[in-house]
Amino acid sequence: MKFTWFHLMPYRYLPSDFRERYHGVWVDVPNRLYDPVLGHGLYNEYLDMLEYAGEVGFDALGVNEHHQNAYGMMPSPNIMAAALCRRSTEAMLLVLGNSIVLYNPPTRVAEEFAMLDVISGGRLIAGFPVGTSMDINYCYGQNPATVRDKYREGHDLIIKAWQEREPFAWNGKYTKLRYVNLWPQPIQKPHPPIWIPGLGSIETWDFCIDHAYNYSYLSFSGYKRAQKMLDGYWEHVAARGAEANPYSAAFFQQVCISDTDAACEREWWPHVDYFFNKCLHLYPGMAEAPGYRTEASLRAGVVAQVGNTTGNMGMNKTWKELVEQRYIVAGSPETVRQQLEELARSLRVGHLLLGLHLGSAPSDLVNHATALCATKVMPHLRPIWSEWEDRWWPRALPAQKRAVPGGTAAAEARANRSGNGQEARP
Amino acid sequence: MSGTAGEARAQLLELGANRPTVEVLDAGSGAPLLFLHGAGGVPAWEGALPLLARAFHVYAPLLPGFGRSTGIDFLEDQLDLILHQFDVVEALGLERPYVLGESMGGWIAAEMAALRPQEIGRLALAAPVGLWRDEAPVADMFGAMTHELVPYLFHDQSCPAAQRMLGYNQLVSDKDDRSEEQVEFLISLARGMRTAAKFLFPVPEGGLERRLWRITAPTLIVWGANDRFVPPLYADLFAARIPRSEVTKIPAAGHLLGLERPGPYADAVIRFGRRER
Repeated sequence: MKFTWFHLMPYRYLPSDFRERYHGVWVDVPNRLYDPVLGHGLYNEYLDMLEYAGEVGFDALGVNEHHQNAYGMMPSPNIMAAALCRRSTEAMLLVLGNSIVLYNPPTRVAEEFAMLDVISGGRLIAGFPVGTSMDINYCYGQNPATVRDKYREGHDLIIKAWQEREPFAWNGKYTKLRYVNLWPQPIQKPHPPIWIPGLGSIETWDFCIDHAYNYSYLSFSGYKRAQKMLDGYWEHVAARGAEANPYSAAFFQQVCISDTDAACEREWWPHVDYFFNKCLHLYPGMAEAPGYRTEASLRAGVVAQVGNTTGNMGMNKTWKELVEQRYIVAGSPETVRQQLEELARSLRVGHLLLGLHLGSAPSDLVNHATALCATKVMPHLRPIWSEWEDRWWPRALPAQKRAVPGGTAAAEARANRSGNGQEARP
Repeated sequence: MSGTAGEARAQLLELGANRPTVEVLDAGSGAPLLFLHGAGGVPAWEGALPLLARAFHVYAPLLPGFGRSTGIDFLEDQLDLILHQFDVVEALGLERPYVLGESMGGWIAAEMAALRPQEIGRLALAAPVGLWRDEAPVADMFGAMTHELVPYLFHDQSCPAAQRMLGYNQLVSDKDDRSEEQVEFLISLARGMRTAAKFLFPVPEGGLERRLWRITAPTLIVWGANDRFVPPLYADLFAARIPRSEVTKIPAAGHLLGLERPGPYADAVIRFGRRER
């Protein structure tokens, strides 16, 4: 198994009466609630958490894209990945991902991902989400009735741009370019591994199977509630005659780890409460613009999805309920190890994306959990699925071919400056 | 193929290969009135429609995604949509008809009259969308739950149509207790809204204001005095841009004139339609 340390980067300072005063955490949550000076601290603290995870042995560091969202402060995950890849030099970079319909032309995504792949020495995993309706329709104004068609066209253009060695013309319905000629090209050939985050639509399953991409099921509701969805996915894989390789699937699970089960509840509950009862305060009127889901998916999911509001998302639940229903995997390293093993085997996933920061959790608590996970959880779980080949993992440059960031001149200058007792510039 | 929707007849118009199939409701006799519905479609032959059918032969073609009309994928953009509506006029054999459009249908009617002025005999726009002023934003029909729109759509929320729409909220729940009929109803609402979104999302404005001067048909602009969905100041904007136009405001009425105040609204449309040029 492989482990990605995945950050959402929530804003930590929402007011205590947030739920009563504001109708949602996303799209139209007024930005007067955001203090950029506090944001400066948060970005740096969160990047430190990710760097630490890379140091203690996580296989990959994960970031994603949301817009106008108080629980996800990464409108540009590529900036986060760029900040990480010069200081975190071993872990892979999972950017899950870029909503390709938002970039005009979509070759922008091909360029930025290629840059990240080149800077990092081939450590990029490229995620291509359609994007949530909140992000792509309500925040970025994409037409919900045509956005899936536009997504497919953008995907085809990016894949071709990564592979062609001569300039070509692209006459699409949504993008027309006389000269497509990508500089730089990604290091990984034919292109970085591609992961597709989905919420259970059959179209997305087929898209992943057709292209042999990883299907990443991202849910805040935990692995018990994902069972039916993943069973459906594997049944579909079997029906299509595709290989049931566990590494072709990834799952996101939020995890709290402390020294003991009792300490875990005491230390983590305020931050779990902040996440489920503030960060997931979503306004159902903007859950899904008309046409965002196909009629087939609507029909398949009408019961579960129409009005999928507070009940299913884990709001208003106690710690005991969240833990027992596995919205969160929480407890001592031993408890967490048992439950993650159950998760991996029952969902049949080779890639585990761990949300080890929740809600308002501070660095010391998170870093302790990260260390416990790396030393007392991951080593026990690594052998699971070892009989399968992971074909969805970066093929990075060998160590001897990789550049060493922060080398010579700047480091010397930095050493001299601190030796001279110089203060930071005002 | 034919059926009925209340007091109306229903037929399916096949426009040909790679073109939509259109369900057309019609009732009444005499001079034709082409009725272009709003984003709610024509779920029942009610409100102003039976009143209008006493004075005209009312034809109500449904856009793809509404009722049994299909083929939205053949209409890629606004021009396709407007030309499609002329195809329907032609298939019905209507010549220079009196066209009444409500809300989204009012926008379509205005676009038709601007694109081919000589083919529209007379025009009535009932609280059309299509223009935009920052100081009076048109309500967002795509970013709210249906029942939340009721205060915007009706002046009197106790009227039966408003109460019915408020009841939709009970269909939207976490519980798996809906009948098959209710599920189909929800899906039909979503399908119609997808069509509306294709042409009007996220801001229902696509350059109509530049084209309004082209309209030559005598034009009635009819508005609910208490419309909170498309504020009545837009009535005056339409009137200022359309050369041969006049405004009628219906007192104590919201956006959905045909459902809330069918009598006075139908009277205004009928009187205007019968007037000498």
